[in-house]
Amino acid sequence: MNAEEKDLQINPVVPENVVHNTKTITDIRSLTSSIFGIAAGILGLESYSGFIFYLLGSFIVSVMMVVFIAGGKPQNYFRSASEIWTTEVFSGSSLSSFILTWTLFFGLLRA
Amino acid sequence: MATVQAQTILRDPQLFYWILFPITAVMVLTGVLRHYATVLMQSDPKKQELNAISEQRNLLRGVNLRTNHNQIPLSSFIARKNYLVAAYNRGDFLKDPENKGKPPANPMTDPAGMDQMMNMLKGNMAMMVPQTLIMGWINAFFSGFVIMKLPFPLTLRFKSMLQSGVATRDLDVRWVSSLSWYFLNLFGLRSIFTFILGNENSADQMSQQMQQMNPAGGNAMFTPGQDPNKMFLAEAENLEVVGGQHEWVLDGVVDRLLKSTV
Repeated sequence: MNAEEKDLQINPVVPENVVHNTKTITDIRSLTSSIFGIAAGILGLESYSGFIFYLLGSFIVSVMMVVFIAGGKPQNYFRSASEIWTTEVFSGSSLSSFILTWTLFFGLLRA
Repeated sequence: MATVQAQTILRDPQLFYWILFPITAVMVLTGVLRHYATVLMQSDPKKQELNAISEQRNLLRGVNLRTNHNQIPLSSFIARKNYLVAAYNRGDFLKDPENKGKPPANPMTDPAGMDQMMNMLKGNMAMMVPQTLIMGWINAFFSGFVIMKLPFPLTLRFKSMLQSGVATRDLDVRWVSSLSWYFLNLFGLRSIFTFILGNENSADQMSQQMQQMNPAGGNAMFTPGQDPNKMFLAEAENLEVVGGQHEWVLDGVVDRLLKSTV
């Protein structure tokens, strides 16, 4: 048994908790990304500025999650420190729901 | 040389009320319907016979002992292992011990296997039927004109797909017909369903398709058609192998504890 395995045995990872933590992030991301889409559509952002808006918004949400939900210590809740920053940002349903609401509100208000 | 002007198309606002909102509403409602249909169609797990459960649980017990063997002292592990391996090799836990050497029964005739297959079929139906219907509906009623402009540019490659039925050569790819709004809904509504139906919903088509691509879920233990006796023998062998690498996790715990507190 090498050192890494031994460490995992001493500090075991409970899969249910990992799932729950990821679910918390996913819920927040899907809610906020739809709202960002609405905002971007109302602002009339196009192409790159819209995606930059999304990235900035996700970053702010990540900061808020680190501060308010993880209490400043994301390493207590996630195995890798980057997880809280990147989960669901570039893939998954959040980006597509951002595009959906963005397109909808852009179409309704601008185009 | 004049600068390239952005194309603008004047569209009737009625397009939004009669196309955009109906499609969205239909997509959302189909998702909700699919969720409840899946919930209703799920047949309860059948009550199993006592010896079938005993077979499964005793195999699981071996698996659990193997995965958690480091949590107990070596002597306890050896005692459990010896008992389980002996019982496995004798075939004590088999559902029908007289069937030991025979080839497994045909899964099609096994009622438990049939049940599983019916469930899979139901899930497939619940997914395929609405998808085909909505696609046909949109193609029949709403093709042939553009309804909206995307807020981001796309390459020309998408033109034939997104502007289906609009045979205009110079139209910007950003103008799209209703079929692309359908696709956007298909991908983007997943998080909306999360608000409406909660996290464990089965409304989304995309996630279901992904689940079907890797069915390596937890319940693959007793796939019909597998010989339980062989599984028991394999598990006995695994236990023997693991026994050689046993290392109790509480070894040296005193040192670790003192080191962490001081």
